[in-house]
Amino acid sequence: MQRYILSRLIQSFIMLVGVLFIVFFMLQLTGDPVALMVSRSASPEQIEELREELGFNRPVLVQFADFVGNAVKGDFGMSLRHNQPAMELILERMPATVELASIALLFAMVIGIPLGLLGGANPGSIWDMLARGAGLIGQTIPNFWLALILIMIFAVNLGWFPSFGRETYQFMGLALPTKSVILPAFALGLFTMGQLVRFTRSAVLEIKNEDFVRTAYSKGLADRRVYIKHILRNAAIPLISILGVQFGYLLSGSIYIETIFSWPGLGNLLAESIGNRDFALVQAIAFFTSLVVVSLNLTADIAYGMADPRIRYGE
Amino acid sequence: MKKLKITSIVFMLALLSLPCALSAAPQGTLRVALSAMPNAIDLPMSSERNAHNVSWQIYDPLVWTNESGKSVPALAESWTVSDDGTAYTFKLRKDVVFHNGEPFNADAVVFSWKRGTGTKMQWKDKWTMAESVEKIDEYTVKISTKGPNPLMLRMLSEYWAMVPPKYHAEVGENGFQKHPVGTGPFVFKKWKKGDRIIFEANPKYWQTGLPKVKTLIFRPIPESATRVAAIKTGEIDIVTRLSAEEAASLKGASNVRLITYHADRVYYIAFNNMTSGKGKPTENPLVRQAMNYAVDVDAIIKALLNGHGKPIAGFITSENWGFDKNNKPFGYDPEKAKKLLAEAGFPNGFEIDFAAPIGAYTNFEQVCEAIQGYLEAVGIKANLDLMESGKYWNMESKKELPPLFGDSWSEATGESLPRLKGALGGKKASYSAWSDPKIDALLEKIGTTIDDDARAKLYVEIQAYMKENPPFIYLYQPATFEAANPKVKNYKPRAAENYYLKGTSIE
Repeated sequence: MQRYILSRLIQSFIMLVGVLFIVFFMLQLTGDPVALMVSRSASPEQIEELREELGFNRPVLVQFADFVGNAVKGDFGMSLRHNQPAMELILERMPATVELASIALLFAMVIGIPLGLLGGANPGSIWDMLARGAGLIGQTIPNFWLALILIMIFAVNLGWFPSFGRETYQFMGLALPTKSVILPAFALGLFTMGQLVRFTRSAVLEIKNEDFVRTAYSKGLADRRVYIKHILRNAAIPLISILGVQFGYLLSGSIYIETIFSWPGLGNLLAESIGNRDFALVQAIAFFTSLVVVSLNLTADIAYGMADPRIRYGE
Repeated sequence: MKKLKITSIVFMLALLSLPCALSAAPQGTLRVALSAMPNAIDLPMSSERNAHNVSWQIYDPLVWTNESGKSVPALAESWTVSDDGTAYTFKLRKDVVFHNGEPFNADAVVFSWKRGTGTKMQWKDKWTMAESVEKIDEYTVKISTKGPNPLMLRMLSEYWAMVPPKYHAEVGENGFQKHPVGTGPFVFKKWKKGDRIIFEANPKYWQTGLPKVKTLIFRPIPESATRVAAIKTGEIDIVTRLSAEEAASLKGASNVRLITYHADRVYYIAFNNMTSGKGKPTENPLVRQAMNYAVDVDAIIKALLNGHGKPIAGFITSENWGFDKNNKPFGYDPEKAKKLLAEAGFPNGFEIDFAAPIGAYTNFEQVCEAIQGYLEAVGIKANLDLMESGKYWNMESKKELPPLFGDSWSEATGESLPRLKGALGGKKASYSAWSDPKIDALLEKIGTTIDDDARAKLYVEIQAYMKENPPFIYLYQPATFEAANPKVKNYKPRAAENYYLKGTSIE
């Protein structure tokens, strides 16, 4: 097990270094951002002065070495636009993104897993049709389009939810979610819900035909018991890994949703910083999001390995 | 008995003053949507219009520019200008305090200027136009410039926000950015990044009876369709920067008042005669005239801007000082274009590279594609390259774009001189790809002529010259759309898309 964890850790580390490398050099390809930071009537001398002040006139490799050296220490530099440490900005926005992604995942799980189970258990039934329909809708509707439709129906016409922004309820020092999260979480979580429905349904269908399930039935166990004790438990193992990956997707994939709903999270900040070519901030967000996704995958992999010995021994 | 009489008089007086006090007290909450989250609530650091508009609610300048473009006293009660036009002596108000209680005086003006000229300040060039700022006495300052600058007062009103030196020394630059302090009508309360900025009415504001609202909240809503939804639901009282289609969708909505005006912004296709355009046919003024005649700007406005815009005849808009009413747009005349091309020695046209930014301005990619089509109709094959806007502007600032490139330029001061200098200043201007000694000389003259009428004549002269020798294909000035809740009173945005909200009230 230790060897398995170590190899996964090394893989994750290589992946993170790769992300740093790609993000840094891809941003460099677009030129330096200084011209966008000054007024349009600024003189070439003023632009040059600022370029020097910010270190953009140094050779790219020197800039990269500097960037990696500081990144290792957790210092991603100052946001060019906000004149504030990039990490500080990320930590300010993180709670909103975690709230949105968690509620979206919760919604996807609460709807997706039971529907997938029902569909898989009763193929061809009305439940199965519902499950297949939900899976298809969830995976085909573009979430930015859905977001605008949801705003139009539930905020403008019915007035049930706010059309934008994040409101929280303060309780014992905690910022608890309010109904403002429902529309963005639904729009964000629909794709994951579709994934979970389809995945659970096919897992159940597959496991149902396994020998041990037949054995369980032949022992005279009740349907309910077979489902809970044997089918669900076995379907849960791959589900853990899917959930880890999906949570990572939800954390990083909310750029459109956060922008449309003006949700003050990381996705919104990333969209803004890309538009303004705020190098330090884009690099920091990309790295931070990758770190979260890689960590979640790593955790899922380890959990998966613990649950299934065949995986940790590379069988 | 006497005591009772005095008490009654005091009581009566108090009663009489009550309605007055009640009407003067700021009331209600005004919620304004922003199309982008400000990067700073600090004028020298604010990177764009949203940040400027938010910032000006908590600061004051020395002078304001009123709605008719005249400079009027703000923190300076009065001023005199030296005969050579290079020294401005301002007498400051004595009754003004910053939000933290620190008195406003000459030291604050000197400090604000020194801070504004810092290397990292994004609008440094607006502060370095002053060569020195001296304290004459506690309430008198002298601002000196290298040469006469006719836009000095306008620049002061647009960019020079006064900040408190002692407070800044106490909290440092970072502390100031987190909790800015000014003398303005509103006081900074809270900034939840990416979510909202909350200001409260300044109870000690030196202009009595202002501001009108008690709480002012700015909410960033980057997606314009969501801004439309928010004004419809009543969650927001003022929304700006809507598209023509969105504005049309709000027509007839019961709780929405549409506001339309022409922004002081021009769209154009620039020619380059400094780098990539050297030796190209576009160096010939007849060719540039022909290309202006070849493009049907009216049709573009009708088809791509839903009719919301007006064709321009030059870089000086009708809102700008010195606009020449007799200077009419070229108009669409493809036959004349072909004739001029033949006269210039290109009867069969020519091929030229053309670039435009993606996603920078409403429908601008389509506008450039239409222009490509119009040019082709008179024999000019323009190879259009649509580029990511960040890369585009980076190349533009280094004069690396092709000989033909599209862009837009707004102006906040009410005079087009900064725009003209910026786009035509040659080597001195980062975003200019055009150099013409005659234009340089005229701009130099305009920039040193203090007398308004004399300056207006020079503007007329440069307009005529730029018609004969067009450095651009002149396109249009777009309409800007905003919407407000009918409960909002006295909200008046200006052509530069800026506004002061101290006089705005909510019922």
